[in-house]
Amino acid sequence: MFHIINPHSNIDFVGKRKIWIGLSVAMIVLTFFLFFTKGLNYGIDFTGGAEVKVKVPSSWDISKVRTTLEKGKLTGMKILQIGDVSESTFMIRAQDEGKNLNLVVKQMTDSLSTDLKAGEFEIKSADIVGPSAGGLLRKNGFLAMFYAMLSILLYVAIRFDFRFAPGAVMALFHDSIIVIGIFIITQKEFDLTVLAAVLALIGYSNNDTIIVYDRIREMMKMNPTLNIEETVNQSVNQTLGRTIMTSLATFVSVAMLWAFGGHVLEPFAFTLMIGLVIGTYSSIFIASSMVIVLSHYQDNQKKAGKHKKRREVKLSPEAHIGL
Amino acid sequence: MTKKWWSKFFFLIAVTVISILYILPTFTKVGSSEKSVYPFSKKINLGLDLQGGLYLVMGVDFNKVFKEIADRQLSSITERFKDKTIALTSPIIKVDGVPQDDPRLAFGFQAPQKQAVKDLLAKEFPNLRITDEKNDSIELGLSNEFHNDIREKTLNQSIEVIRNRIDEFGVSEPQISSQGTDRVVVELPGIKDVDRAKDLIGRTAKLEFKIVDETAMTGTNVMQLVADLEKEKNIKFGVGSDLKFSDYVKALNEAAKGKIPEGTEIAFEGKTDKNSNQRAPILLKSKAEVTGNDLQDAQVTFNQETRRPEVAFELNAKGAVGFEKLTGDNIGKRLAIVLDGVVHSAPNINSKIGARGVITNGRGGYDEAIKESKDLAIVLRAGALPAQLELMEQRVVGPSLGADSVAKGAFASMIGILAVFLLTAVYYRFAGLIAVASLLMNVVLVLAILVWLEATLTLPGIAGIALTVGIAVDSNVVIYERIREELGLGKAIHAAVEAGFGKAFKTILDANVANGIAAIILMIYGSGPVKGFAVTMIVGIVTTIFTAVFVCRVLFDLYLRKMEDKNATTLSI
Repeated sequence: MFHIINPHSNIDFVGKRKIWIGLSVAMIVLTFFLFFTKGLNYGIDFTGGAEVKVKVPSSWDISKVRTTLEKGKLTGMKILQIGDVSESTFMIRAQDEGKNLNLVVKQMTDSLSTDLKAGEFEIKSADIVGPSAGGLLRKNGFLAMFYAMLSILLYVAIRFDFRFAPGAVMALFHDSIIVIGIFIITQKEFDLTVLAAVLALIGYSNNDTIIVYDRIREMMKMNPTLNIEETVNQSVNQTLGRTIMTSLATFVSVAMLWAFGGHVLEPFAFTLMIGLVIGTYSSIFIASSMVIVLSHYQDNQKKAGKHKKRREVKLSPEAHIGL
Repeated sequence: MTKKWWSKFFFLIAVTVISILYILPTFTKVGSSEKSVYPFSKKINLGLDLQGGLYLVMGVDFNKVFKEIADRQLSSITERFKDKTIALTSPIIKVDGVPQDDPRLAFGFQAPQKQAVKDLLAKEFPNLRITDEKNDSIELGLSNEFHNDIREKTLNQSIEVIRNRIDEFGVSEPQISSQGTDRVVVELPGIKDVDRAKDLIGRTAKLEFKIVDETAMTGTNVMQLVADLEKEKNIKFGVGSDLKFSDYVKALNEAAKGKIPEGTEIAFEGKTDKNSNQRAPILLKSKAEVTGNDLQDAQVTFNQETRRPEVAFELNAKGAVGFEKLTGDNIGKRLAIVLDGVVHSAPNINSKIGARGVITNGRGGYDEAIKESKDLAIVLRAGALPAQLELMEQRVVGPSLGADSVAKGAFASMIGILAVFLLTAVYYRFAGLIAVASLLMNVVLVLAILVWLEATLTLPGIAGIALTVGIAVDSNVVIYERIREELGLGKAIHAAVEAGFGKAFKTILDANVANGIAAIILMIYGSGPVKGFAVTMIVGIVTTIFTAVFVCRVLFDLYLRKMEDKNATTLSI
């Protein structure tokens, strides 16, 4: 038998849970900080604007594209070379600043046609997103994320226990926030496809968490006297092989999409790739640690509740009469 | 092997064979010709991002429609109150200081008449709600129900108007649908003239009423003439022709000069005739006596006696005069209802019609009559209350990018799937091969279900198939790791396999259901390509549960029996 992980491994995951939780909290705080200072590099899906992808002769470079456009009175365009250099394809973008976006696309084609004959350049794609549509898409996107997490919270709560559900959702929250954080740091474009990938991650990353939770639940039934730390730690160790193997398989398929899927699929696959790594980390370290934290919290609540009740009984008038 | 196993095995084989037969037309030429005896002809549609084309989201401007309706309500209020000799003072439409989509009607009256005013409003204008009242004045808004009704009708008519115009391009599979409550999505695969398409879709609807000229030429004559002209001047529309429909009609009319009476024109019906598979030409008087501007409203009502649906319409004062003359002069003739140059229908004029008229639908079954009446009411309303459309989103994918995406996406997915197969086979050895077989089955099933649903495959959808395989392995891994564990505990192979599959089932279900929830939400909120991804994911989740729990089990049992026959105590896992 091949084993990625020794089946009898007994790594202490939960003992250092404060470090893991601290680390994750730090990353989340950093993301929020960057979100408000540096901000996401939104694509036109969310900001509104026009974007044209055009293939030009291989002798052209960015500055040639720019001067040609400027001759056509199109200034302030963002121009990027995309895909392989041999494809000589450029992305030209106009953010919406009260410009008539419809006209911008036409102007782009017109100014290219002054220097090039009809067959020498090719409009690969042309997207226009009006400002109101951009706002709507952004709103719907974040609503979708919210509903996805909410329904998973409910599902896990129904299938498992309220001690589990918040951990699962916190792990999902954690994963999506950190993925967004990486997009802020790298300033990679955040568009609809990336958002879709983040949503797919919310569903998928939950898989690993559920595998671990399932084992914790089983251990609790089989061994009710064992303390929660030990239960969780053993469960994580026992399922470690599975967790890593499943993530690895998905990672491999996504990595191939990333490497060979072309520039349209690249952002989608990239998001899934980093998300998988973070999701696996959070399943092992965060989701399970949260079970312990919440379990302690509930125990404390119970104890506190008992004290309160006792005190109430003492103070109730009936008790006095009884005395 | 037991009888039960054999029946499972045969079921598995049957599902596999049917699935493969199902997906063949998509990937090969099998079943593509009409004469083919091949039983399945459904295919997966390629999304716009894969075949190239134009995707538009148009926003419907309701505010103007609401204002227009408020305006019309106010003038009929003024008229009715005049009849009842209640004098109204300074009637106005208020749009400032109120929500944009909720214009107000306000007017004053003599304080003692307040009750009379309110009574008449309640009795004859149930579509209005009182928003503010004083002793000698009142402010009204459209009732919520009416508001929603207008929204729905306006959205439907916008879709209908666009559909009516799309035929212009002869696009094979145009898709026009509503998105939310105020947007229309138009998908035109393979279209080249993007600017023209956008211009045409965004234009305001134009409705005209024209008399059908059947005295000069009969319908058959017109049809013959069109056929002759097409041949003579080589004017064609459809496959193998670059002509737009409107250009085709224009060229025909040009050629027909002198052959049709002065002041007439050839127009075409919107619907294709079931028998001839063509759009029937009709000879119309060119001059439109009444247009949509003169129409107030139109809706489906039911005839008191026959209980059949009909369309009731209302004209404004100017329109009523024109219509009365037009219908009075032409009793017995047909009146064509022409939307954007296309004849929607041409009912017979039975009597003189003034401000209010009814169009009955005599033919066909009840359901058909309902549908036709609804369509007609939509067309009339489109002319009466044209809604302006605003471009919200446009995506054009060139044909080469589409082809490039298909090639790259398919290749990357294939490599991804193969890599997963390799990993699984290396890690779990013989059991890994069984997993690979069930994964292959998974891919086949996903494709077959997509064909069955006639789903649209997009680039993220292709990626979704690769991802499905990556995720499906999860289930196999969960089962196998469990079996390994049970073997590690010293269980016999049969018991270990039994326990492995049994205990893993709940985990697999939980994991996949949670995943499915996210995919469903993605489908609801996603648009275009993203939706395609969500659909693939959902299908993949269903097939994954089936293949991991059923297919993998059936195959594993076969392997287990072989090992038990050899008295083996270990498994290649």
